[in-house]
Amino acid sequence: MSEPLLEVQDLSVRFGGITALDHVSVTVAPGEIVGLLGPNGAGKTTLFNAISGFQKPDAGRIALAGEDIKHLLPYERVAAGLGRTFQHVRLFANLTVRENLLVAQHRHLSSGSLSAMLRLPAWRRDEERAQARIESMLDMIDLRAWETSYPPALSYGTTRFLELASVLSLDPLVLLLDEPASGIQQKEVEALGPLLRRIRDETGCSIMLIEHDMSLLLGLSERIYALDFGRVIAEGPPDQVTKDARVLSSYLGRTRRAHASA
Amino acid sequence: MTQHAVDLAPPIALPAGVRRRLTSAELAGLAGLGAIALLPIPFGSFGFFVGQFALVYAILGLSVVVVTGYAGLVSLMTYSFAGIGAMVTGVAMASWGWPFWLALPLAAVATVPVSIIVGVTAVRLKGLYLAIATLTFADALGETFFKWSRATGGQTGWVVSRPKPFVSDVSYYVLLLAVALGLVWMVTGLRSSRMGRAMLAVRTNEREAQALGINVYKTKLTAFLISGMLGGIGGGFLALLLKQVTRSAFQSPLVEATSILLVTVVVVGGIDRALGAFLGAVALVVQQQVFQGARFFFAYFGIYSAGLLIVFLLYRPGGLMQVARLQWRLIRARPRVGITVAVAIVAINVGVAWLFVRLG
Repeated sequence: MSEPLLEVQDLSVRFGGITALDHVSVTVAPGEIVGLLGPNGAGKTTLFNAISGFQKPDAGRIALAGEDIKHLLPYERVAAGLGRTFQHVRLFANLTVRENLLVAQHRHLSSGSLSAMLRLPAWRRDEERAQARIESMLDMIDLRAWETSYPPALSYGTTRFLELASVLSLDPLVLLLDEPASGIQQKEVEALGPLLRRIRDETGCSIMLIEHDMSLLLGLSERIYALDFGRVIAEGPPDQVTKDARVLSSYLGRTRRAHASA
Repeated sequence: MTQHAVDLAPPIALPAGVRRRLTSAELAGLAGLGAIALLPIPFGSFGFFVGQFALVYAILGLSVVVVTGYAGLVSLMTYSFAGIGAMVTGVAMASWGWPFWLALPLAAVATVPVSIIVGVTAVRLKGLYLAIATLTFADALGETFFKWSRATGGQTGWVVSRPKPFVSDVSYYVLLLAVALGLVWMVTGLRSSRMGRAMLAVRTNEREAQALGINVYKTKLTAFLISGMLGGIGGGFLALLLKQVTRSAFQSPLVEATSILLVTVVVVGGIDRALGAFLGAVALVVQQQVFQGARFFFAYFGIYSAGLLIVFLLYRPGGLMQVARLQWRLIRARPRVGITVAVAIVAINVGVAWLFVRLG
């Protein structure tokens, strides 16, 4: 396997006495789609938060494209090539779909406040650039019909796709998707798998996703990490991980007692 | 706060670089602005006097639009920034003999140190706590900067004169109108730009803003810097409006009261639209100035503005901008009813004010 793009080593996060992540090590290769599997409370979202800078880890190392990003703030990690979505969709309800996408162009623009206030050419160029980028994004993730709508007027599924379009606008090297299919219609879930694969193929970005929809997760992921109680309990191709006794007992419904005696 | 307003607000016109024709709504808006600009004429010199006040408050209101309307930071110290601007203008003109057009940029720049200190605080405080912190800053400035005689000219303050050719109230009114509308245009432009959108994003959802690569710290600081400068500019024009500035207006409790009035002005006008500051100032400051002469009615103004604030927050969170949009929709849908209602509203307001001025 080639040099990993995202490398997390021995990452630990503790909340008071509770160890949310216990020496977790995961890697994502360039262009790879990696799934995270595990019951609620296993530490999947905490891992995402630590990687994206929203949760300060107690120990460990996080490297993106060979650079240590552990000390960077969330917005600096975006500049380094990290993009993430949230488990509960968080959008800008006071802005239209189009404006939401414009906000996501932030890192690609450079003109200052004064040039905007005076409508200087620098501002004009920036706006044209932003508009052009949005056009291609509206085509890639089909949001044209909702361009001028406000998020509260959209279906939950559409807000999910808008969130995806926003984070894709960052041109991330690694995309962290926290339950992209939760709460959306079955039809949209079925469209999501091919879309994510297409995004990977067209942009070349790596994807790491947390998902409880098993057919989506297993169908899409090339490699899966299974987490339980803040630890990686299994790693490998989907068909192998789902056969792992510890994964079966922790995630697929065996009792904890069986887990303990295993 | 703007949850209801969002469904009604038209999307920002953003085809940057593309020169386009004005829509009929924009033309109607311009016509309305023109009518407002001509409003002082039937009232004579008193009308222009009040008009000047309304325009200075519109400029100060823009300061609130940027920091509170765009960036969501509740600042109750706008009038302190105005005070810094007014005093710096005063000291530069009266003490150093600078011309106004040099003193004004200095007034804007002089707010920067305070903006930075407040902005650094704003990153760490949210909502009510920030509001209280800004009140404290206002009070602290009142006890320090505004007690410093070298800067404030002592008890008598600074006497400044208007530059030619803006000496008369009518000409100064015209100047203020141009400046206020120019700044409205600038603050409107800010809204559809990289930094303006970052402010709107930070207001709604800080985490998501960070996740999209926005530096929240820098965004909030920029909001305070722009807001402070607008406040300083407004203060400079306030000094020339009053022709004499004294420090007591910028000390507790007057300074806090005025800053809160400014927030009210902007909420009534439409907090996240630059033009809202203009409309709010016209609506509230005209009332304030008209009733200033009558003792009994001046007490009533406090109740009136507080009541208006609550009514707008509850029913028209988008302020007068939202009212204007709704009215425009009504005119489009049922022209006769819409125009009749609009004319009636304007006629009643102007009529009452006219009667009050004539009889009072």
